Amino acid sequence: MAASAQFEELVLKHLDSLHNYALALTRNARDAEDLLAESLARAYERFASYDRSQDFRPWAFTIMRHLHLDRARHQRSHPEEAWAAGDEDIQPTALAESPLHATPLDPEGLLVRRESVEQVREAIRRLPSPLREVVELRDIEGLSYRQIAAVVGCPLGTVMSRLYRGRNLLRTYLLEAPRCPERKTAGLGDEL
Amino acid sequence: MNCSAAKSQLYAYVDGELSPERRHALERHLTGCDGCRRLADLEVAFQEAYVRRFRPDPAPEAVRARVRGVLAGLPGRPAASRRRWRHPVVVGAAALALLALGAALGLGVQSYLGSRRVLVQLAEAAVEQHQRLVREELPADVRGVSPQQAADWFRQRLPFNVQLPDLRTERLTFVGGRIWHLRGVEAAALEYRVDGRYVSLFIIPEEAYTRLGLSDKPRFKTISHRGYDVTIWRSHGAGYALVSEIGGRSCQVCHAEGEPPGTGATGPAHR
Repeated sequence: MAASAQFEELVLKHLDSLHNYALALTRNARDAEDLLAESLARAYERFASYDRSQDFRPWAFTIMRHLHLDRARHQRSHPEEAWAAGDEDIQPTALAESPLHATPLDPEGLLVRRESVEQVREAIRRLPSPLREVVELRDIEGLSYRQIAAVVGCPLGTVMSRLYRGRNLLRTYLLEAPRCPERKTAGLGDEL
Repeated sequence: MNCSAAKSQLYAYVDGELSPERRHALERHLTGCDGCRRLADLEVAFQEAYVRRFRPDPAPEAVRARVRGVLAGLPGRPAASRRRWRHPVVVGAAALALLALGAALGLGVQSYLGSRRVLVQLAEAAVEQHQRLVREELPADVRGVSPQQAADWFRQRLPFNVQLPDLRTERLTFVGGRIWHLRGVEAAALEYRVDGRYVSLFIIPEEAYTRLGLSDKPRFKTISHRGYDVTIWRSHGAGYALVSEIGGRSCQVCHAEGEPPGTGATGPAHR
């Protein structure tokens, strides 16, 4: 199969993931679409460097992230620039002020509330950008910590730290959110 | 290890991302600490209730259209646009064939929908296991042996007849296998490489597969999960789940190239 055909196949297969990550980076539908289109062109230029034995997504995400950083550098007022630069010292205000982020929150309350999957998904979208990014890469895309570290360009410990803080903040959001009047079954059945 | 240190590692533990040493240290703590044990159990329940159900949101049609335009304009692409139409045509033909087969066999749409949820759960479990195998989080129990030697190894340890295909082509490599604990059921997890990509084949006892209540029609059930294709079917004596990122090419695990799946000529799974 020609390289162009392989590339097309991979892009179409992972299009939802690529678009989702572009949205996580830009937090804006129009910017996400532009970033995605530009990333694909750049990824195709470098497709020869892609190791076919590896997952396509981390490779493509890394290119997209670098492009996003390049664009942010040219837009100095871009709000994502600070976090996108990978400054681990940045503490999102909401996170720093939350008394609940020090230890994992007891998830029992969340399970009892039986939030819908979409409510939890929406809460992830509200996370501060650096935390949302790693939570999305792990919990939506299912990447390993090592893959996330490669994409984000930071040490493994930083990934763990962001994931820890992101998930704790997510649970804070969920516990603080008004209870959904329409309960939906959240637990899995016992078929398996 | 104290409770504070244990809690700080719970997410990584549940994600299967702790090193063996740290995992063992944490498990020792969990054995003696009801509070932390409860948190760990609840975290697992939270992941099962939510995290494993997450999917990337489908890209809007406008985005898809733009991406198709970008792909069409890439340099080095074949001038003729036949290929662009090949996938929909092939997929459409396959879907029609499946529909025709379903109709011919009296497949009821409602019964299929009824088993959909179980199918998704099995696919989720298989994909998770596949990812952990590929990331080498789970060491192989058997490695560096032929498929037949691996089959012998499994037959000595599992209470059902594990048969492995023994195709030998340059494009297919048997990597290894391990016993997979699927909610209390012991199954065989086998790892292959096809065209350089990892493919996992899971074999579960027929009685466990039967308990899932999946319809036997269509015979091959394909589902997409987290970018992977999962094909699930039952054959004599076992249930099978095949996980890959390469669509129909993964069938080379059981079938020689060019041999249509389902003919039963080579793969023991179809006998």
